[in-house]
Formats: sequence, C-alpha cells, structure tokens
Amino acid sequence: MRDLFKAELLRFRGWAIAGAALHLLVLGFLARVVDLAQQPLLVYRVFGGVYALAGLLLGLYQMGSYRRPNVWLNLLHRPLPDWRIAAALLGAGILLLAVAAALPVLLIAGYQAGMTARVVDLRHWLFPLAALLIAACGYLAGAFCMLGGRRYSACALVFLALLAVSQATGPRVLLLQAIALLWLAAMVLAAFKPDLSAPPRSPAATAVTALPLQMGVYSLMLLLGFGMEMLWIMQGTHPNNTGVPPPGGHNETERMTPQQRMLAGLAASRAPQAPLWREQVALSEVQPIGVQVVATPVRNELTHAAAEQTEFDDDERRVRWVFSHDRMRFEGYRLTDGRRAGELGVGGGDAPFPAPAQAAGGLPGLPKGDGTLVAGNVLYRYDGAAGQALPRIVLPAGEILAGVTPVGESLVVTSDRALYFFDGRDAATGDALLRPRQRLPIPGRSGDLRSVELIELVDGYLVSFSFTSYAHELTGATPYQNVLWVDDGGRVTPVAHRAMAYDYSAPYRYKAWWPSPALYALRVGAIGLFAPADPLQATAPAPMPRGIQVFAGALMLLSLLAAIPMSLRRALSTPARMAWVLACGVIGLPALASLWLLYPARGQAEPQRQLQPAAA
Amino acid sequence: MTDTTPSEYVVETEALCKRYGAKLALDQLDLRIASSRIHAIVGANGAGKSTLFRILLGFLPPSSGQARILGRDSQQLTPTDRGRIGFVNEEHTLPNWMRVSAVTAMQRRHYPRWNQRAFDEVIGHYHVLPEQKVGQLSRGERAGFNLALTLAQGPELLVLDEPTLGLDVVAKRAFLESLLYSNAAGQCTVIYCSHQMEEVERVADNLIILERGRLANMSAPDDFCARVTHWVADIPFAGPPPASVPGLLQAQRIDGLHHYLVLDQDEDFAAFLRASGARSVQSMPVSLDRAVNGFLAKNHAMPAAA
Amino acid sequence: MARTQALLIQIATGDPRPISKQIVDGVRMKIATGELAVGAQLPSVRGLAQQLTINPNTVAKAYAELTGEGWLEARQGLGLYVATPRQRLSNAERDRRLDDAVQSFVHEVAALDYPPDRALTRLERALRVLAPKKTA
Repeated sequence: MRDLFKAELLRFRGWAIAGAALHLLVLGFLARVVDLAQQPLLVYRVFGGVYALAGLLLGLYQMGSYRRPNVWLNLLHRPLPDWRIAAALLGAGILLLAVAAALPVLLIAGYQAGMTARVVDLRHWLFPLAALLIAACGYLAGAFCMLGGRRYSACALVFLALLAVSQATGPRVLLLQAIALLWLAAMVLAAFKPDLSAPPRSPAATAVTALPLQMGVYSLMLLLGFGMEMLWIMQGTHPNNTGVPPPGGHNETERMTPQQRMLAGLAASRAPQAPLWREQVALSEVQPIGVQVVATPVRNELTHAAAEQTEFDDDERRVRWVFSHDRMRFEGYRLTDGRRAGELGVGGGDAPFPAPAQAAGGLPGLPKGDGTLVAGNVLYRYDGAAGQALPRIVLPAGEILAGVTPVGESLVVTSDRALYFFDGRDAATGDALLRPRQRLPIPGRSGDLRSVELIELVDGYLVSFSFTSYAHELTGATPYQNVLWVDDGGRVTPVAHRAMAYDYSAPYRYKAWWPSPALYALRVGAIGLFAPADPLQATAPAPMPRGIQVFAGALMLLSLLAAIPMSLRRALSTPARMAWVLACGVIGLPALASLWLLYPARGQAEPQRQLQPAAA
Repeated sequence: MTDTTPSEYVVETEALCKRYGAKLALDQLDLRIASSRIHAIVGANGAGKSTLFRILLGFLPPSSGQARILGRDSQQLTPTDRGRIGFVNEEHTLPNWMRVSAVTAMQRRHYPRWNQRAFDEVIGHYHVLPEQKVGQLSRGERAGFNLALTLAQGPELLVLDEPTLGLDVVAKRAFLESLLYSNAAGQCTVIYCSHQMEEVERVADNLIILERGRLANMSAPDDFCARVTHWVADIPFAGPPPASVPGLLQAQRIDGLHHYLVLDQDEDFAAFLRASGARSVQSMPVSLDRAVNGFLAKNHAMPAAA
Repeated sequence: MARTQALLIQIATGDPRPISKQIVDGVRMKIATGELAVGAQLPSVRGLAQQLTINPNTVAKAYAELTGEGWLEARQGLGLYVATPRQRLSNAERDRRLDDAVQSFVHEVAALDYPPDRALTRLERALRVLAPKKTA
C-alpha cells in the first residue's frame, strides 16, 4: 500500500510542485498589492472555487486514467484489499493537493504575519486548512464522477454546491467541510470495487450514494425551475420585469419611490388625519431608513461579505484600522509606510469590543476623520484625535444594532426589533450615552422587512414598514405594509395596514418544497448546519396553503406507487425493494429518479431465453 | 471461510450467462479447465473471451450461473486469492512514470511468494535496465517485463489475454520462449488467449474454442485438427444443397471444383459426394489455422462433439 | 558413450501435419537415411522444444510415439537413444500401414494425371534414398 502511495505521489510530483509554485507566485503578487487577509467574501469564493476545480480536475484525470477496463483490472487485481488501494491513491492525491493548494496559503499567511503590520488572526491561520479541505472535496468529487456509475456519478458535485452555499461560520466551517470530505470519501470507497458499472453493494454503500444522488436530482429539479424562470424572464411576462408590475402585488410596492410607498400605505388608512398626512407627504421629503449591518457579525468568522466590514480608513491621519478577531480591537497601520500605528479599543484603556465591530459611516457634525462604529448593541464614536472608540448609544441587551440614519437633526437607529429616535445634536458633542426619545417596535420580522421610510410630522414621525423581502418564496411572510405614527411622547398609533397580493402563484413560491418536503428539510438543515441563527435574517413564514400540502402528498404517493413496478423490474432483494418503495414514499420523486438511475432495468433477453428450451 | 481442497480444475463454470442488454455474451457456458499445462482459448471477436476473463476475475457479475476460479467463487475473491492468479493483458498496463526497479520493488513487496529467480530468468531475455522508465520501454520489452513480473508472483494460474498482440517477430519469439521455458511457468496452469494460430499451435496442450458464448471445442489441438478435413469434388453443375452436406464448415466453388471443409467426416463423406454426382473425390488434412478458421467461419452453430 | 547429436529438423506451423507428427516424421527420416546412427543420443525434450520454440509436451508426445514404435529407446536416467533396428510393428499392422500409404499416394497421384510408369519411377527414386541404411 505504501508503495502504491509513493508511486502515485511520484506520478503527479511535477504537477504538484508546478501548481504550488504558480499558486505561490499569484498569491505573492497579490499580497504585495493588497492585504489578502481582508478581502471580501467574493475573493475567497473565487480562490475556493479554483481550489475545488483544481481538485476536481486531478480527481477526474487520475481516476479517469484508472477507470479504463484493462487498467482498472490491473490496479485492483493484486493481493491487497480494494479499500487499501483506494486509500493509497486518494491519500497521495490529497497530499499533493496539500502541497499545491494549502502550502502556498500557509506561506503567505506566514509572510503577512511576520513581515507586515497586517492583522493575521486565528481565522486566517485556518485558511490553509480550508483550502486543503475544499480542494480535497473537489478531488474526491472528481474521483467519484469517474468511478461511480455514469448515470449518476455527477451527484458528488452536490457537496461542492453545499460548500458554496453553507452558512456555517467560523472554525465550524472546517467541520462542515470535513463532514463533506468524509462523506465523499465514503462514496468513493463504495464505488471503488472491481465492477465499476454495478450499483453499490451493501445497504450502507447504497445509502451513502443514494442520498447525495437524491439531493442531486432535487437540485436539478430546482435548477430546471430556475432555467424555466429565465425563459419566463426572457419572454417578458415575469412579474419582476414586466413594464407595469401586477397591481396590488408586492412587486409594485417594491418598485415605488419612498413617497409613493408612503402614500400607498396612507391610502389604506381610515385614520381621521390620513388626508392631512397625505398632503404633507406630497409636500415634504420622505426619508428612507437604511441599515449598515445586513448580517450579524460573528466572532472568528472566516470571511466577511465586504471588506468594509473589517477595516476603515482614517483619511485625516492616514491610518487604516483593521478589526482583529483575536484581540477584539482594531489594529492600525499607517497607509503611507505600512508601519504599525497602535491599537483602537473602547475608551481610554482600549478595552476590547464586546462584539465584532465595524465602521458605520460618519455623522453630521463630527470632526473630519471621525465616524461611528457598531458592535453588537452599541454604537461608538470613533475619536481619531484620541485614538479611542467611545460608546454613544447602547440598545437593550440582546438587540442587534443594524444601522444609523441621520434624519434632520435626529438620529434614527435601527435594530433587529425596533427603531430608536435620538437627538442628533447630542451625538456629535458630549461624551455621555444618548437616551432615546422614542422607541418604535418593528411590526414584523427583521428578515421580512424590505423598506422603511418616514416623514417628520409636527408631533412625531409617520413610519412605513414594508414586509416583502421573501414574499416570492416560502420562508417569507405574506406581504404587507404597516404605517405607524409615533408621537413626541413616544406613543405609537397604528395608522394603516395594507395587505398586498402575491405576484407569484403558490406552486411557484413553494417550488423548493413540494418536489420533496423531506429533501427540502434536509437542504435547510445542511445549509444551516453550524450556522448561528441571525436575528437580522429572521422571518415569519406564512402558513402553507392546503393545496400545496395536498399536492406534495399526492406526489409522494405517486412516487410510492410508481416505485412498486419499477423496483420489481430491478434485481433487488425483498428488503431492499421494500426499503426503496418506502423511501420513494417518504422522499418522493427524487428518490424514484435515484432508483431509476442507480439500477439498470433487467434485460429484456430473459423471456426469450426461457422460450428456447420449449421450442427446441 | 472454508478452505477448499485443491481443485482438479482451475476454472469451472456452470450454465454461465452474461447478458448485455438483449445480447448474450456468454450463453449457458459450461467450461472446465484442468489444472496444469497450457490451455489456449480461441474465438472470434465477440465470442465472449474477454467477458469470461472479467467474470472469472470478479470484475463483472454473471447474469446467471456459476463461475469458480482456483476453486473459489469468482465474485468473492479475497486479496489472497488474487495473489494466486496472474493476469497479463494485451496492453501490458504498467505505471509509465515509474522506473523498472521501482515497479519491481513494489510488486516484490505486494506478493509474498515473490520469486526473484523467475523474474531474473525471464527478464534476461530482454534488454531492460532497472533504471529505465517503464514508459521508455519498447512494446516487446514491456511485454517481457510484464510477464517477468507476473511469473515472479509465483501464480498458480496465469491468464494471458492476447499477450503478443502488436509485437514484432523477434519480440514474439522472445515472449514465447520466456513463457515456455521458464521454470515458474512450468509450475502453473496457463490460460492463453490468442488470435495467432501459429502461437497456439506451438504452445497449446489443449485447445478451447468459444463461439458465441458457448463452448465449441475442448481437445488437444492435433485432435481438433484431425476432425476437420478438406474435400475436393468434381461435380458437374450445382453441387448438393449446402444444408444437406453433413458437417459442413465451408463450401467454395473454385474453377469448377467444389471444395468442402467438413467436420467429423470419414470415408462415408466420399460416398456422399459420389452420390451427389461427383466424378472424382479427393480429401486431405488441413492445418490448425485452416481448421480453426473454417470452424469459426461456418455459417451456423454446430453442437459441440461430446 | 554417445554424445547428443544435433537433430536438424524443421517444423512448420500452418502445416496440415501437427507439430508432433512433423517431429516423428523428421526423426524417422533421419534414422532411415542413417543421419542418426543407432545409439546416437537425441536432444532432451526441453532442448528440442527450445530449439523449435514449441511446447515441450509436444516434443514429449513425439518422442513417446517414436519410442512406442521402437525407433528410440530410453536409457534410465540418461535420455533417449536411437534403438537397434528390429521388427517394429506386427506384420498385419505393417501391411495395413503400407495399404494406407499406397492408397493416399494413389489418391494424390491420380489427380495429377501422370502415366503410372512415370509415377513409379519417381517413387522408386525416392525410396532408393533409404537404401544406404538398408545395406549398412
């Protein structure tokens, strides 16, 4: 076994070294130009994609060269168990990928940590491991694509898709990648048998192969739906791109200007002041309220959606502040010469931030170079002259401060649960914590909330909330708009509730669910595995229409019934047949498709053979 | 696991069938190959030879029936069983990127019964240097190296699937010599599959002919040769209808004379030809090449002589 | 003690006669012409097989036939030697074989359409080659 391992290393040694050299060259070049540790998620995705692709190509090439009948026979016909042969080849492949994919990343991380003032946290030291895991997953997927049955082997790619869409954060991402790797390894081992065209042998091997296959079929069904949607869009009748949106629907509301939206909300109001407010809306400016934090930052998360989430520049002092998850403080270096420029924490003692902090833009009235920082439920003022972050606004514990918007002389602070109104003049001056004048609870879930706009009234604010973010799919609330009036005393009065129509039919909205409720649940579980629940992304799903449930049930029953004759035409043992029929009932059409793909139907030649003796 | 007693047969199949879709590659094949000596398997392309080997080595499942190799169910071969069976195919698949010495070292460690003397004996027929890369070997050297590796494994059964395909005359001769006169080869049963009748004639003790997935002949090559005779008859006008000619393998009319290649016919056939209006009748024996070709080319299947 | 004598025979694949028959014929002819003297040692089975690149079993078979017919004799542990001439076959068998030979000769020659005396002349000349051995 060790000989096979060494032989395989020898085979691709040149390629691995060349790959590593090229990789190091690219990373080295980029590291001179930018800080590779603080790139937006997209950059890391591109690198991850390249690693997965490199692994995939290696797997395809290596196993492609072995799968030819004569070569395969020569490889496996030796006094070694199949799994040890597989372990030797795969182990060599993974070691080669470690050299080509992980080692250069490690070297560059070492360079950045040792030779620059850039921040290199624990999370960055995990990058080489992540690179290796991703490349190895691609490699095993490629190996399975070659060794598995032609009809279904592409299903291994669902694990690469999982790596791409998983919401796991921090070091637990590596755990998810390791699980994908182990599962793929199990799939390859199950396929690593003398007869490559045969379906998996043991029940365990069948389960290990069938589940990703069913997921693959399910994904393909979704992809097919997506393709049809593209055609729909090209045709020009898709609600998202019709010239005039369907009246009364959520699309129409989303396409309105803030002013139109406010008016539409007021139109549904029966409050006595409504006509007056409508006039006021027409005359005054309607202020949209935005957020700076879309997803709650988590300590030690490997990547961030945007670089702005990890660093900001003090242009006045030419210092770049980069947030270090290890120190929970910002670390500065001078933009001019790249030398260290100290540390930025909370208060005079530079205490660590309670949660990962990010810049939230400037505020009117602040000195040049200063701005605001957000960490958890606290808004800080960055005081460039003192090199400190001073807490200015503290929301109740447990709430997430998502954004701050200046409105006139006020500050509107958005959290995952409420809007807070502060006096903006106090924010720029003084050191004391600000006290909110009013608190307006959000009449819905933060994830559903698509837009907030307000106008200032003589006595308070008129605020419109539109909850349409996920109205096109099953996770979202039934679309609606609420208009609330919060007066100077902080009293909240509902002004209007406008229910919107769906622009999409129920089968469209539930298209991820009805093909297979079980696999939908599995998908949600897999994507959310090791991912913390994000209050900013929480939604209040609308109850499922009965028709959809009946439809899904009918499909499951149909696939159960279809599985009976289909399983009879395949060479299966009775327990296996029953298990398959049951699986088709529970999982639905994807299971039926996987049964069809995994097992070729028995040949038609059999009846003829039985006739021959009688004719002779 | 029960250890079977050394079987009298290295290969045993019972009603072995292999179906690809509607096509039968092996059709109720009952084959018993006795241990020791050299058995040649001959058949037209598509006669099921490769399928048979793949089933015997456990790389294909039979559609029905049984296949045993060295007394073991071919679908349940253990690594130890595999160590007892040597296999050489026509491609001589070897890791091209490795040096000869490295491949040898690897095989030596894999096979507990490695016989270095056998290896040296066979490799001596070729100009193969240990430090050469396998990919740089010529086709003939590659074949010889592969044979040396396989014989040194000390196999009880050696299966050779068209090992001399594409070799030049010299390399072919060297290959046959190293196979025939190696001591290691003398200790194992050899199954030799080839299209080259010349080789079969030289090496085979036993001739197995497969035809459309069935066993068509199993006998010494000489005995098979003796079963086929060539008759020339001068029959004016048309000869007897082919369907009525007993044991007909091939009928040709050349320059007005009727040539018949027939199976299992004695002097009665002369009487038959005379009765069919022949003015003169001659018969002669045929070479193995001609006999096998005629046998394989015949229009319709003949029942195998019991 | 006789040394192993080279056995210069040719075999041809693709010949109607099986290889073992070709060896039998070849050795018989060598003995009949005196090229192989009585008491001469024949090559070993393996040696002849290697010389001709054929399966040793084929040589063994031919030797067995020659020994059975009395052309060769085995000396325990030493090898095979050309035997002293003796009546190798029963009279009846000799007659039958001669009949067979004549029959097949006539069959062959008949188709050649030579006048019988010409064929006989040729046959006589061929047979005379064997004469030296007979007179020796």
